[in-house]
Amino acid sequence: MLKPSFSDLLRSSFRSILKNKSRTILTSLGIIIGVTSVILLTSIGNGLKNYVTQQFDALGANSIFISPGKIFNDNGGFSQSSMTTAMTTSFTQKDFNLLNRKLKNTIIMPVNAAYADIKSSYAIKKTTEIDGSTEEYGKSNNVVPSDGNGHWFTNEENDKKTPVVVLGYKIAQTLFPKSTAIGKKVIIKGKTLKVIGVVDQKGASMGGPSVDDAVYAPFSVVSDLAGNDNINTFVVKAPNKDLIASTKKEITKVMLEKYDSDAFSVFDSSQLLSSINSIISVLTIALTGIAAISLVVGGVGIMNIMLVSVTERTREIGLRKAIGAYPRAILIQFLIEAVILSCFGGLVGVILGSLGTVAINSFFPAKITISSILLAFGVSSAVGIIFGVAPARKASKLSPIEALRYE
Amino acid sequence: MTKSSSKNNSNVILELKNITKTYATGTNCFTALDNVSLKIHQGEFVSITGPSGSGKSTLMHIVGLLDNPTSGEVLLNGKNISRLKEHQLAQIRNVTLGFVFQQFNLLAKTSSLENVLLPLLYSDVPKNVRHQMGIEMLIKVGLENKASNTPAQLSGGQQQRVAIARALINNPQIILADEPTGNLDSKSGAEVMKFFHQLNEKEGRTIIFVTHDMDLAKQANRTIIIKDGKILEEK
Ligand SMILES: Nc1ncnc2c1ncn2[C@@H]1O[C@H](COP(=O)(O)OP(=O)(O)OP(=O)(O)O)[C@@H](O)[C@H]1O
Ligand SMILES: [Mg+2]
Repeated sequence: MLKPSFSDLLRSSFRSILKNKSRTILTSLGIIIGVTSVILLTSIGNGLKNYVTQQFDALGANSIFISPGKIFNDNGGFSQSSMTTAMTTSFTQKDFNLLNRKLKNTIIMPVNAAYADIKSSYAIKKTTEIDGSTEEYGKSNNVVPSDGNGHWFTNEENDKKTPVVVLGYKIAQTLFPKSTAIGKKVIIKGKTLKVIGVVDQKGASMGGPSVDDAVYAPFSVVSDLAGNDNINTFVVKAPNKDLIASTKKEITKVMLEKYDSDAFSVFDSSQLLSSINSIISVLTIALTGIAAISLVVGGVGIMNIMLVSVTERTREIGLRKAIGAYPRAILIQFLIEAVILSCFGGLVGVILGSLGTVAINSFFPAKITISSILLAFGVSSAVGIIFGVAPARKASKLSPIEALRYE
Repeated sequence: MTKSSSKNNSNVILELKNITKTYATGTNCFTALDNVSLKIHQGEFVSITGPSGSGKSTLMHIVGLLDNPTSGEVLLNGKNISRLKEHQLAQIRNVTLGFVFQQFNLLAKTSSLENVLLPLLYSDVPKNVRHQMGIEMLIKVGLENKASNTPAQLSGGQQQRVAIARALINNPQIILADEPTGNLDSKSGAEVMKFFHQLNEKEGRTIIFVTHDMDLAKQANRTIIIKDGKILEEK
C-alpha cells in the first residue's frame, strides 16, 4: 500500500502550492509566457501560410502567367539575377498576335496598367493602379460584378475604346460615399470615364493590393491612359488542369522564337504558390526559433524559482525524513507539486495563446495548430517537472540531518 | 519499569557499540565521536551533557537514525540497524523514535495541528482517527486553543510544545531531545522538563535528552558526560 495515500499526497502538494504563493505565481508565469508565445508565433506562421494559399486559390484555376524577366531560379525559388540580366519590361501587341495565332483552344488575356489620380465629384483617390484587360479577364479572375452591380466590360467596348471603368468595392465607396457608383462619372488624367460596374466585396487583405481597391478598364482605354500599348503580363487560360503543363511548354516554345530564355517567365499559380510557401516556411522556422527562445527563457525562469526555494525545501525534506518519510514518498509529493504547477501554467498558457490567436486573427491571419499546443505544453511542463523534481531527488538522498542543516 | 538501576541485559532498548563519527572538512578529518559504547534500558530517563562541541548532538543524531556513524553499530531492541534499508529506517524514525530538536523544526506557514499530524502521513494510522489524535496530543501539551496557529504565531515555548506533540503522536518507545530547553526561558524550560518527567513516570517512556545545564541534567536518573567525543563519566 502506498503510504501516504495518493489523496494525502495530493492534499499536501496543494497545500504547499497555496502556501508559497509567490513561488507558485512566478513558476506558473514562466510556463505561461513560454506556452503563450510559442502558440502565438506558430499560429501567425500557420495563418500566414493559409492566407497565401487562399489568395492563390482566388487567382483562379488553370491560369498561366507570362511575365517579362526571369522570375524563378532553377530550384523553384525566386530568381535573384533578374535585375542584372538584360531586362525585358513588357511585351508588345506583336507578341499577343503571335501567341493568339500559335495557341489553339486557349484564351489569352493581355494585362497592362496605368497609374493616375481618380476623381469623382465627391472625392479624389491619389495615384491608383488602373488595370487594363479584356472581356475574358473578368470571368477568369472572378471579378465580374454580380447582378444589380452593373457589368464587366465587353470586347466590343475594348475595341471601340469606350471610356468605361469597373471599380473595386472599397474604392467605389470612397469615390461615391453617398449613393451607388454605377452610371456615375470619374475623371482620370482629364478623361471622363463611366462607371459600369462595382465588383463584389472580397474582404480583408493584409496590406497588399486587394480586389476591393482595384480599378479595371478595357485594355485599349488603359493603353491611352498609360501612353503606350505595352503589355505587362499575359494571363493564359488553359482548357483544363491537365493541360497546364503542356500549354506552358507550348507557350515557352512560341516565346523562345522571339526572346532569350531568361527574358520571360511562364508560370502557373501553383508554382508561384510553392515559391511563396518556401519563403513562408523560412519565416515560420524563424518564428519557431523565437518561440523556442521564449520557451528557454520561461524554462530558465522556472529553474531559477525552483533553485531559489531549494534551501527551504531541502530543510522541509530533512524534517519529513526525520519524522519518518521514506525517499519515495518525498519524490512523489514533489513530482505531484511540479506536475500541478506545470500543468496549471501550461493550461493558462494554452488558453491565453488561443485567445491571443483569436484576437490577432481579427487584423492579421493567425491559425492555431494542435502540434504547437502539444509542443509548448510538453516542453514547458517537462522543464517544470524536471526542475521541480531534480532538487527534491537530490535532497531526498541526503541523510535527514544533512538536509535539515542545508544552507 | 521506571527504575533504571535494574541493569540486566534483557531490557536494553538501545545499544551503541564502538561508535565513531568523523567529519571530513576539506583536507582534514575531525573525530566528533571516538569509539563510544553505551546501553540504554527500557524506561530510563537519561541526560547527556558536556561542553560545547563535545559531540552530544552528533551522538543524538546517530541514536535518532538521522545520521550514519562512520563505524560501529547501533542496536535497537537488540536488532542491528546498520544493515537496514532507507525505507526501513524511515519507518523506525516514524514509529519507534520521537525526536525533539533544539530549533523546533516546525513546517512554516503550517498550523500547529498539521505540524503535529505530519508523522501520521507516513504511518499506518487510519485517516478517520488522525484528527482526533492530533487534538488529543495538543490538549496533552496544553495548546488545544492554538491548533490553527502557525509557528510564527506561537512563542518559542509553545513551538517546542508543538514539536513535542509531533514527536509523541505515533506513541514512540524512545523520545530523543537535543537541547529541548536550549531556546527557551527558564520557566518554559521547566515546563518542558516537567512534561518529560510525566512521560517517563506515568507512561514509562524512555527519554534521552541533551543539555548543557547541569541542574537540568541532574533531574534525570542517569547523566552521561561527554568530552571530546568520548564518554567521560556516568552517574
Ligand atoms: N557536518 C559537520 N561537518 C564537520 N564537522 C562537524 C559537523 N557537525 C559537527 N561537527 C563538529 O563535530 C563536533 C561536535 O559537534 P556537535 O554538534 O555534536 O557538538 P555538541 O556537543 O552538540 O555542541 P553544542 O553543545 O554546542 O551543541 C564539533 O566540533 C563540530 O564542529
Ligand atoms: Mg548540539
